[in-house]
Amino acid sequence: MKLAFQIAYKNLMGAGLRTWLNVAVLSFAFVMIIFFNGLMDGWNQEASRDSIAWEYGQGQLLHENYDPYDPFSLEEGHGVLPSAIANEFESILIQQGSIYPDGRMLSVQLKGINLDQNTLKIPTPILKNSEADIPVLIGKRMAETTKLKEGDEVLLRWRDINGTFDAANLTIAGVFDSNVGTIDNGQLWMPLKKLQSMTGLDNQVTLGIAKKESNYAAIGGWKFQSKETLLKNLSDIIATKKISSSIFYLMLLAISLLALFDTQVLSIFRRQKEIGTFIALGMTRQQVVGLFTVEGSMYSLFAIVLGAAYGTPMLWLLAKTGIPIPAASQDAGVAISDTMYPVYGFGLIAITILLIIIAATIVSFLPATKIAKLNPVNALKGKIQ
Amino acid sequence: MDTEKVIKLEHVTKRFPVGEGEFTALNDINLEFAKGEFAGLVGPSGSGKTTLLNIIGSLDSPTEGKANIMGRNISELTHKESAHLRNIHIGFIFQVFNLLPVYTVYENVEFALLLQKKTASERKKAVMEALEWVGLTSMANKKPAKLSGGEGQRVAIARAMVKRPDILLADEPTANLDAKNAHAVLKTMKDLNKELKTTFLFSTHDEKVMAYLDRIVHLEDGSVKEDEIITHQNTEL
Repeated sequence: MKLAFQIAYKNLMGAGLRTWLNVAVLSFAFVMIIFFNGLMDGWNQEASRDSIAWEYGQGQLLHENYDPYDPFSLEEGHGVLPSAIANEFESILIQQGSIYPDGRMLSVQLKGINLDQNTLKIPTPILKNSEADIPVLIGKRMAETTKLKEGDEVLLRWRDINGTFDAANLTIAGVFDSNVGTIDNGQLWMPLKKLQSMTGLDNQVTLGIAKKESNYAAIGGWKFQSKETLLKNLSDIIATKKISSSIFYLMLLAISLLALFDTQVLSIFRRQKEIGTFIALGMTRQQVVGLFTVEGSMYSLFAIVLGAAYGTPMLWLLAKTGIPIPAASQDAGVAISDTMYPVYGFGLIAITILLIIIAATIVSFLPATKIAKLNPVNALKGKIQ
Repeated sequence: MDTEKVIKLEHVTKRFPVGEGEFTALNDINLEFAKGEFAGLVGPSGSGKTTLLNIIGSLDSPTEGKANIMGRNISELTHKESAHLRNIHIGFIFQVFNLLPVYTVYENVEFALLLQKKTASERKKAVMEALEWVGLTSMANKKPAKLSGGEGQRVAIARAMVKRPDILLADEPTANLDAKNAHAVLKTMKDLNKELKTTFLFSTHDEKVMAYLDRIVHLEDGSVKEDEIITHQNTEL
């Protein structure tokens, strides 16, 4: 095997530009695979981090009648948190209402949250410091949609526990900037006590955000969703996105492997006399097959070295400075920041290296198998068809 | 002359399929070559010289008959055994030299020893000695493309001889050389034959080669027409 590597190295070096063109294309595929996957992993990590910080906490305890995907369930989906565990959760009450910015009616979710909480990154101190009768916080997306800004007042209409409509002006106490669109679009955050008193739902909450990581068993009337369960949707979306993005770099990889395959076929055709000479000098056909396969694999090793040489500083820089994401992407259904920072894990790099080496070895081996069947006399005469 | 038979051919016949029929390249060849012979297979194109050389070199096998090389029937050898036989016992010199273009002269000569898994110091000693035999020690670091035809063929001789094979097969070794280089190459081979007792077997129709041979086997249409022992008047030969 050592001999095969020595010979292969000399042959590749001797082939000059042909070698380096293949290596360049393969190294580009190598770097792009790491970059795209790193980008997706970075997005996944950042989105998970932000979702935990702004929305999920360490898990959610939902009232059994509340279904996050069914707004009608808000009517019955609330209750009093069991006192034994109430301190371990941040209470959130969710109700429906409507606001009338610029005379348009807009359905909103009213979300009551404790002003002293520090489980979520919602900037509740702004609410605490506000002197307005109904102070609310909105996210930047909501502010953009409704054209509301800090200090604006707008009419709010809601229904109390008996179904009776009530209305009052609310005041925008602040606008927060979050990567998590699901706590922003169509939502008004207000003091929990205020919402409870407005709706007559004293001590009632829709869900609790776990303050600490813990595995809660089923609690009467409440269902617990762990952080991992809540993040699964996000991971699934990113995994789907990863597959669609992978088409691009798999095509790039396929092109580079095709070039390698082509080079190998041409190489075997052009080097028939050399193959015959190897056999005449005492190499077995299998050794020659191995030699050509190793040559192909070495393209991938060179590509990895070359890719590391220019890819490491480039990817490092991108990981430091991040990739700006267009504003339009912020409205996607998942957490996405205005700058995405790729993350390149050891696993990603190791798997990509293995993928490149295995793929290059396979495409090199396939044409080389022809050698195993050739007649050395014909090879020496250059008569392989 | 040592009477140990390194090559024994018994009723060797070789046929190739041609269209729906067959072409008989060798027909019932019976020959023996002893250790240290300097012999040639002579005949016109298509007489079966190269086919016979390929069979003796275990690159091909007979359709019928037995070819015993170094006591092994080559028809019974596996690919691996056949490769081992060539690596240890047989050296080849080709008409177009077949030097490996990306290797230096030194590396070309060293190649067979790498296959034999010799140590670096053993290889170096043997390669330098082989280059000395052919007078090319100063060219050790040159690539084949930088060599003249005569130098290229001398490298091929060094590559074939470096492992000190029992049999050296040379297929039209002077076909691409001018007269001066041809004589130089042949003299080198003759000297090595005397010094190392290697059996040299040529395939040729070059009269310059024939002048050096001690035995000429004339082939015609795949059969042995004459097996001639030559007595040289010129003591240099």
